[in-house]
Amino acid sequence: MANTVIGSTIVIDGEITGDEDLVVQGTVKGRVGLRQNIHVEESGVVEANVETATITILGTVTGDVVASERAELKSNCRVVGDIHAPRVLIADGASFKGNVDMDG
Amino acid sequence: MANTNARASSPTSDACVIGPQTAVRGSLSGQEDLVIEGRVEGSVSLSGHLIVAESGEVEADLEIESIAVLGQVRGDIVASRSITIERGAQVSGNVRAPRVMINDGAHFDGAVEMEVDLPDDLRKAAR
Repeated sequence: MANTVIGSTIVIDGEITGDEDLVVQGTVKGRVGLRQNIHVEESGVVEANVETATITILGTVTGDVVASERAELKSNCRVVGDIHAPRVLIADGASFKGNVDMDG
Repeated sequence: MANTNARASSPTSDACVIGPQTAVRGSLSGQEDLVIEGRVEGSVSLSGHLIVAESGEVEADLEIESIAVLGQVRGDIVASRSITIERGAQVSGNVRAPRVMINDGAHFDGAVEMEVDLPDDLRKAAR
């Protein structure tokens, strides 16, 4: 399956758009708009407003997240911002500050 | 969610990749190898090896250690080591590196600047 990997030493300041999976191990600032899945790994830092189908966060996200399907906050993640998604999962051990809106 | 797909175009299994369906606009910097299969606009500053794959489209000024272009690049390229423009590649812009290689079948439009050690008298005449 085609996907995009932003490696751990990579810093992107700007905009990422696309139609495939994105794995963030590095830093992304600005805006992310995807129609597929975003996986923010432990080392990943996203300082951006994110629009996606699903997002799985193990690292750090600051910004608003709009997911058309699912947002999953895993243990040890740090998230500050509002989350809009029909399904929002927050695991034990996750740190989160913001609003959750599951009504679309 | 395995992200360890073997890729013919990448030298390492865990390379950083901008996939074919992804576009990045802005600045990208880092200290590792990168493969661009999609679209990048803006600027790239990398201490590592950059591969612009056949499907890759880059409209950016590039400052890298070394680069191999198989796709399209529009912008200036400065490499601290080498620039290789492969067969089928299209590059327009100025390129500067100690080693610049343009292969048969590549399309290049721009200026090349390498360090040329000329004898003193010739250097004066050339400039």
